[in-house]
Amino acid sequence: MKFRMLAVMLLLGAFPAFAQRASQWMLVQSTLTYHVSSPVHQVSGVSHAAKGKGICQDGQCNFLVAAPVKSFSSGDSNRDLHMIEATRGADNPMVAVRAKFPEDELQQSTIYADLNVQFAGQTAHYAHVPFQRESQGDEVRITGTLPSTCSDFKFRRPSFLGMSISNEIPVHVDATWKPM
Amino acid sequence: MNMKTVTGAIGRATLTFAMLVPQLSQAQTPASNSVPASSPAQSQGVQQPAAQQKQSGSSGLPSAPAPSQAPQEPSLQDLGFSQQQTQSNPALQAKLNRRTKMLKIHQRLGLITVAPMVADLITGPMAKAKGKNGQIIQEPTSTNLDLHAALGSTTAALYFTTAYYAMFAPKIPGVQKRGAIRMHEALAFIHGPGMILTPILGAMAFNQEQNGEKVHGIASAHGAVATVTAIAYGASIVAVAWPIHLKFWEKR
Repeated sequence: MKFRMLAVMLLLGAFPAFAQRASQWMLVQSTLTYHVSSPVHQVSGVSHAAKGKGICQDGQCNFLVAAPVKSFSSGDSNRDLHMIEATRGADNPMVAVRAKFPEDELQQSTIYADLNVQFAGQTAHYAHVPFQRESQGDEVRITGTLPSTCSDFKFRRPSFLGMSISNEIPVHVDATWKPM
Repeated sequence: MNMKTVTGAIGRATLTFAMLVPQLSQAQTPASNSVPASSPAQSQGVQQPAAQQKQSGSSGLPSAPAPSQAPQEPSLQDLGFSQQQTQSNPALQAKLNRRTKMLKIHQRLGLITVAPMVADLITGPMAKAKGKNGQIIQEPTSTNLDLHAALGSTTAALYFTTAYYAMFAPKIPGVQKRGAIRMHEALAFIHGPGMILTPILGAMAFNQEQNGEKVHGIASAHGAVATVTAIAYGASIVAVAWPIHLKFWEKR
């Protein structure tokens, strides 16, 4: 009887420890690609320099992915410098994306995340952005597109030959995560 | 020591351990999460400048998020970026702003320069004496000569002003040049000397014609040098714009 009571007490005592355990994720590989279009140009800038971490606890996941603005390369150093200038990338050298979504979505093929994007000294919120999830062994690959625009971050649209780029600057995300 | 005593001792020890477990787990959670800056103030330490700008800069943004941050959210510090990477650099931003401003003027003047340059190429043959040895030489009118010279001077003035804005735009240290800009700059080694040489040869040709001589010697290369210069100049504009994907027909 005493042993049974002890076992129950032990379980009750240990329960909060299990309940509070957070699962953590680390970004192991990523490709962030922004797309810019103008009447004469289609440009993509790629960064592989993002770092990220995710914490899931109490049924909620909080993920953070950040990359230096200057790490995006469009294949033209002159254009990249103009991009940094236009997006105030020296004043605000990081672009950071915070994602929140229910923990159970980690097991589903589509994750709908609420995103806060800090970029160019502004923060924009995007609700319910779908990301595709694909398991690769013990890693998880997340792909999706961030529907960002220039006006979200209040920077003037760069122009070339007198023609401004379009307001839409979608950012494609391809990130592989590993549990820590 | 009887069995009852042993069981009681084990029971007390287990109970103590069981009661300690939640405290231990709470104490260990932040450490195991490697979130040393679990307090909002600490966790936002690296981002403070951005956060301040967010408050001032995005006050009118309807989609601006609430500034609160739950303790279990990862922070920029957790990601391991160096301070150099995350720190703002107003001096560099000012330099980039000045660079862009100067290069925009460079671009605008460069495009304007195309007009007198093309006009000069068109009026070039009109300013040239025509006729071969043994035939009647047709002298160009002074109007043709003056127009060609005036267009040439305008082209040269605009060209060198354009070049000034490119050459004296601030250089950003540590940037390795890649892409179309390399070709754009390489072509300057053709049209640059060409733009120096063309007016000199033009002046020599003009003087020879004024002296009643047929244009001869190096001055006779004036037209060819001007043509090569204009082609290199045009290629330079195309190079910096390359690759061009025309999509005027698409709805923007």
